Amino acid sequence: MFYRLSGIHHTRYESARALWPVTADRRIVQGLLLLAVAAPFLLSDLYLTSYMLPWLIWTAAALSLTLLMGVAGQLHFGFAAVMAIGAYTSIHLTRAGVPFELALLGAGLMAALIGCLFGAAALRVKGLYLVMATLAMQYLVEWTIINVPAISGGAQATLSTPDVTFLFIPLQSDGALYYTALLWTVVVTLLIMNIKRSSFGRALVAVRDKDFAASVIGVNPLKYKLLAFFASSFLGGVTGAVLAFCYYQAVTPEQFGFNVSIQLVAMVLVGGLGSVIGAYLGAGFVLLLPIVLTNLLAFVAQFDLIPISFNLLSHIPLMVYGALIIGVILFEPLGLAKIYDNIRKYFLVWPFRHTQS
Amino acid sequence: MTQTQHDADQDIVLECDQVNRWFGGLQALKGISLSVRKGEIFGLVGPNGSGKTTLVNAITGFYPPQQGQIRFLGEPINGLKPHCIAQKGIARTFQNVALFRGLSVLDNILLGRHIFMRPSIMASLFYWWWAQKEEVAHRVKVEEIIDLLQLESVRDEPVDVIPLGMQKRVELARALCAEPRFLVLDEPMAGMNQEEKEYMVRFILDAREAMGTTMLLIEHHMDVVTAICNRAVVLNNGEKIAEGPTREAINDPAVVTAYIGKVKDAA
Repeated sequence: MFYRLSGIHHTRYESARALWPVTADRRIVQGLLLLAVAAPFLLSDLYLTSYMLPWLIWTAAALSLTLLMGVAGQLHFGFAAVMAIGAYTSIHLTRAGVPFELALLGAGLMAALIGCLFGAAALRVKGLYLVMATLAMQYLVEWTIINVPAISGGAQATLSTPDVTFLFIPLQSDGALYYTALLWTVVVTLLIMNIKRSSFGRALVAVRDKDFAASVIGVNPLKYKLLAFFASSFLGGVTGAVLAFCYYQAVTPEQFGFNVSIQLVAMVLVGGLGSVIGAYLGAGFVLLLPIVLTNLLAFVAQFDLIPISFNLLSHIPLMVYGALIIGVILFEPLGLAKIYDNIRKYFLVWPFRHTQS
Repeated sequence: MTQTQHDADQDIVLECDQVNRWFGGLQALKGISLSVRKGEIFGLVGPNGSGKTTLVNAITGFYPPQQGQIRFLGEPINGLKPHCIAQKGIARTFQNVALFRGLSVLDNILLGRHIFMRPSIMASLFYWWWAQKEEVAHRVKVEEIIDLLQLESVRDEPVDVIPLGMQKRVELARALCAEPRFLVLDEPMAGMNQEEKEYMVRFILDAREAMGTTMLLIEHHMDVVTAICNRAVVLNNGEKIAEGPTREAINDPAVVTAYIGKVKDAA
């Protein structure tokens, strides 16, 4: 009905490996991209800066983490610390007079360097033990930022971002901030999708699935584990910088605490490990659902149908939110991306029932 | 040294020289020596636990021998990491299929080309101008192998939904894609029915003919071993008990004893 596979025959290997080989998928992506570009003209400032903007940036963060956790299979429970390194590095670099574009690069490199240092633990340990090593990173980085005044700007200090320009456009208006974030998220999205269809991504998956079989076909498992940490931490660092400059505009260490790391892991898991669309859906779920639930409840409560205490009013959204996360994981362990995939396949063969793969 | 002797030495692809391997107090390989000549299918047989897979693991670098030397094309390779040995041109398949479950059949086979590719993050970032050309060039080679092993129908399937016989064939395809000069097949017909077994034999012979690959075959199906192997070595308890042209090696009294015991052992 909506999707038509008939008539799609690939005569070249390039088109067979295209990002969206099905025309209908391509149309959807084009439509969404158009909406994203037009968003500043369609949405009010409130919706643009406090819903769309953080959603895009956290999607980029979830994408960076899903490259490591989903594609390369290395667990990371300290990703907020990686973002913190990027955020603080970029602020200090721009304050020292470095152009913002170079500061972003520096933020990525610094995060990648320190990320690789802790990622080196992955060369020896797997699974829960790697979780412990990355947790250590979370706390060590947090402690260092808080306790070194040169980084945090002093005890309990808030470090505000200086005024910068990105590609000759001053980052002051909401539009400029939004388009910077959109550009970065699109770049990360394309990068992850291209990694997944090229030899680099296949090598990462090989190491994830069976490291002994990977080495027997010539993949060096140690090298690719480190490269996964490098790439993911680099992207995470730049995303942290984009988050600081485009959204927070003033950073404190608490913004990159352990709970943020857990939220990132939740985004990746609820969305679906290793899935690009899952990162978008997961970030939206974790970030926006609590807000939607709170608004919904406030809307219901204003009719005074049943008396709800203020205390309960603030707790119900959290309870529902927790239940929904568990619900999604139970209903479809492969995450929201798999639910989307099932729906897509349903329409792909509609009105029939069985798909080919 | 006579001329023929000299030619035979020139032709040796893989040579094991007094290979010893211990696991704690257990000596799994006791001074194994063998040499595989270019273009032949070399059989490696023996009862369970006789050290066949350990020897293969020693050759491919997973359990480097503590004593002795393994030479590939005259060059010592013991002590090298498995991925370095793979880059020298030795490929293998596993007894229990070791495919990458998260990938499609095509991606699994493409991974066989890894040693010829230059994977990098930048190449992936600029896919359309950089990685794509390489991907397509190697895809052409992969399609040749898919054609040879008749895997067209399952090309785009996830690898864990296809039957075991197909999975073993995909693993062979992945190994062949590396254009190995020496291919180790560790029980390629384990768990197969007669038809799948015959297909597999056909594919192994086709592959040797098409690519001239030298092979080491571990197999428990003696009919297959006698049918396609030029020469064979029989192991028992980590020792070499027979060697020579396949039929002679397998009919050696020591081999019969190792498999089914001596007459006077029967109670």
